[in-house]
This record gives sequence, structure tokens and C-alpha cells, in this order.
Amino acid sequence: MTAERGDRSVRLSPGVPAISVDHVSRWYGNVVAVNDVTFALGPGVTGLLGPNGAGKTTLLHLLAGLLAPSAGSVRIAGRTAFGDPGVYAQVGLVPEREAVPGYLTGRRFVQTNAVLQGLADPGAATGRAIATVELEDAADRPIRTYSKGMRQRIKLAAALVHEPSILLLDEPFNGLDPRQRLHMMGLLKAMSAEGRAILFSSHILEEVERLAEGILVVFAGRLAASGDFRSIRRLMIDRPHRFTIRSSDDRALGAALLGHPAVFAVDLLDGRLAAQTSDFGAFTRLVAPIARSAGIRLFELTPTDDSLESVFSYLVGR
Amino acid sequence: MSSAAALVDVTLRSLLGRRRILLMGLLAGSPVLLALLVRFGGGRPDASAVLDNLVLRTVLPLVALVVGTSTLGSEIDDGTLLFQLVKPVARWRVAVTKALVAALATVVLIVPPMILTGLVLGRGDQIGTTLAGYALSAVAGGSAYAIAFTALGGLTRRALVIGLAYTLIWEGVLAGILEGTRYLSVRQAMLGIVAATTGDGGERTPLAPTVAWTIVAVVVILGLVLASLALRRFQVRAPD
Repeated sequence: MTAERGDRSVRLSPGVPAISVDHVSRWYGNVVAVNDVTFALGPGVTGLLGPNGAGKTTLLHLLAGLLAPSAGSVRIAGRTAFGDPGVYAQVGLVPEREAVPGYLTGRRFVQTNAVLQGLADPGAATGRAIATVELEDAADRPIRTYSKGMRQRIKLAAALVHEPSILLLDEPFNGLDPRQRLHMMGLLKAMSAEGRAILFSSHILEEVERLAEGILVVFAGRLAASGDFRSIRRLMIDRPHRFTIRSSDDRALGAALLGHPAVFAVDLLDGRLAAQTSDFGAFTRLVAPIARSAGIRLFELTPTDDSLESVFSYLVGR
Repeated sequence: MSSAAALVDVTLRSLLGRRRILLMGLLAGSPVLLALLVRFGGGRPDASAVLDNLVLRTVLPLVALVVGTSTLGSEIDDGTLLFQLVKPVARWRVAVTKALVAALATVVLIVPPMILTGLVLGRGDQIGTTLAGYALSAVAGGSAYAIAFTALGGLTRRALVIGLAYTLIWEGVLAGILEGTRYLSVRQAMLGIVAATTGDGGERTPLAPTVAWTIVAVVVILGLVLASLALRRFQVRAPD
């Protein structure tokens, strides 16, 4: 699959957030699905993370104007998301659960989307979108004969056919094989580089870590954190940062590190030195000088809980 | 292709792809079969009785109910409506287009077999007038029923049950015995149109043609407005 895309016009106005969510809540009877969520997103890829039932799909439906907020406001490119069909000229939506019409061929489905978008040349736009997701060979087959991955790709083609400046994707990698996942990642990165705002939900942390420039973490309907996950990790001062160290004398280095106030625990585990610190930045700056002054050679310094997975588990495990 | 044509296309394909519509096609064609059996079985055919009792009172409401509820309600249920809604097209346009497609599909399913049935059964000089009256009545009534049931499908998930209760209980029983309820019956309006065209009012005094046409117009307009409101207020259902 190719991730090449030509020049595309991106119509996001400077100074206006692509997506703006202001104190939004959504409840169903007594059940609160989204609770007082506020954030704003501009161009770039943002991953929407959260456990099952956290409110990710509800949030995406609110953004797509398919749900009205019970409180607060959702704006897409400066316009109210719910009740204004005009916003869809700028938005592409890839829903997770909603069915694609099996009675249409892939090409007819994408072309119908192109016509409903009011494109000047729906046929050409359809061809481009189908080529983008590499479904040319199957484009003239009814969608009911498609595999789950092919359905996912034809939904993406339909969402891309009008080259939207804002793309909302609910679990877009579901059903894709590893090669298709890589292609989709490349495609989304290329679209992000063109200045588009892309928000996608996923339960696969590795994909989010590889693709997203920022994350939104929702938990029990609330926004638990937003931004770059490493920056979020640095802000978690109640959680110690853990490192493993390999050196020419781990025992001596451990003793030397423990003398510094930023280091509050060291341990020798499986032949490696493990250290815990409250200050990530200070620790990375002090290890080398301490080792040098103690005459110890430093071979390896690895943060062990600086991954998205550990950030996510800290956030939702509170 | 315009956006309206695209909506008509996708709605028709959706309708024709449903098994229940094929069954409705068979139901709509059944009077022709019955007429052939009567005609060649040596019976004494009465075209008006068959067109009135079998087609207008029974087959037409059932076909309109299934077509109408399949147009919007089924697309909401299976989620295929969503891709049509996330487009820069006003939702009322989507609703009105689908309701009109349902009306057209009902008329196409009902009227040709009805005319064929009349031709097989009918004799004498009056058959042309009789057929014109019933066909006109079926076009008006079929459209009104289909549009009303399309709106019902947009408003509730129990459209089929409610529609069935309306045609069987309200129209089948109450409108036949309680005088005032006739003004809330599409069936009585259809019979009024037939009577005005053919001059045959049956056993009871039919509704005056102006009243009958007013009922049809009110149901059509109200159905289009309600279908538009239903879609304007439509939101995806809560996740399970």
C-alpha cells in the first residue's frame, strides 16, 4: 500500500481550534457517560485512550455531531457540532460499530459519499480514495463479501473522499493485518503532516505510542489527562520514576546514588541496579557525574516506567 | 448525480435488498393470482369487491407498513443511516427523500397488480372508471400510509407493532363502527375517493371527496414534517 498523497487543501482557520470541547457532559438517564470534559485540539494526531466503557465512543459521537451534549459545548472548526450539517464538509468519520451497507459495492459506497459531499468530480475523488486504501481490486464487489479489514478500509476511503481537515476514527486498526496497520499509520502521519487534525481511539497502546503526538485519556467518563504522554508522566510526582542501570560496579554506584536527595530507593535485582527517583530530569543529569566521581563506568541507563503503557496504567489505576 | 438522486438510489437499493420487501412484492401480486383462479375456475367475479376488500383494506396497508418502516427505521436499526447523516445535507432533506421513496415504492408495488387484477376480473363498460377510481385511491392512500409509517419508523423502534395496531384495530374495527373516528382513517379516505370517482359508495355513506382528499393531504404533510423532526432530533443510541 502506498501512503503517498498529493497536495490537499486543508481548510482549518488559523487561531480556531479544530476541535473544541468545553465542559461537556453527556448522560443517559442516571448514567453519566462523559463528565465535564474540556480540551482543544489543533492539527496533528491525537490518540484517545481509555478502558472499555470509559466514554471514548460517546466522546467521538459528540464530536461528530451524532449526539447532543447534555451540558457544555462541542465546536468543530468553530461551528457547533450538533445540528449543523455544514460541519461535515470538513469532517471525516470512521465509526467502529455502525454498519456499512452490504448491498452496495465498495465503489458505489464511496461514490455515494462523494456525491453527498457535493464534490465536483465524485468519480475521480472515489478513485483516489479507493487507491489510497488500496482496495481497487475489490472495489466492484458488494461490501457484504468483504472481510472485516476490507470493511474498515472502505469506511476509511469513504471518510477521506472529500479530503477532510478533521478526521475522527473509532478503533481504526480493528480487523487490519499488520501490513495494513503500518499503511494506515503512514497514511495518518502523512495527513497530519498536511495540517489535518486527527483524533483516533484505540485500545492498542503500542499503536498510539507509535502514531500519536498527543493523547487524551478518558476514565469513567472523565478526562484523566491530555498532552504528550512523557510530559504527563513527568507531572506524576506521586509516582516514583524507575530506572535500571548497568555499570562496572552496581553496588558502589547504588550507594553513591542513595546519597542524593532526589534518589529515595535503590535495589540490586538480577544483576542490575534499580533506582527510584522523584525527579526524572534531575536524576538523568546527576547519574553520570556521580558515577564519574566514584570512578565507575556507566554502561546503560534505562527508564522502565516511561512508556505509554505505564502512564496509562497509572492514570486509570488510580 | 445530485445528492437527492444519491439518497434515492441508496434508499431504493436498501429497500430492495431486504427480504421482507420481496415478500411484500409477492403479497402485492397475490390478488392477480386470486383473480386468475376465480376467473378460470368458473366463479362469478366481482372486481369491486376484490379491489375493495382484498387490495385497499388488506394488502395495501400491509405493504405500505412494511415498506415505510423498512425505509428509515431499519436503516436506523442496522446503522446504515449514519453515513448518510454525516454529510453536509440537511437532515430534513434526507427524511423527506426517504419518505417519498417509500411512497413511490408502495405505489409501484400496489397499483400495477391492482390494475391487472381489475382487468382479469372486470366486465362491462364501467370497468375503466372503476379501475381509475381504485388506482387513484391507491396512489393517494398508499402514499399517505407509506409516508406516515416512514415517520413512525423514525420516531420509534416499535413502528411495525404500532402500525399494525393502527391498521387492524383502529381502521379495521373502530373506524368501521364509530362515526367520528372515520376522519382519522386513511382507509376511509381511500374509500371516499373511490366512491367519488365510481359513484359507488357501498353500504355506508362515504366521506365527501373534499374531506377524503384533505385527510390524505394532512397525513402526507404531517408525515413529512414528523419524519423531518424525527431525523433532526436523531442521535445515535447509547453504547451497550
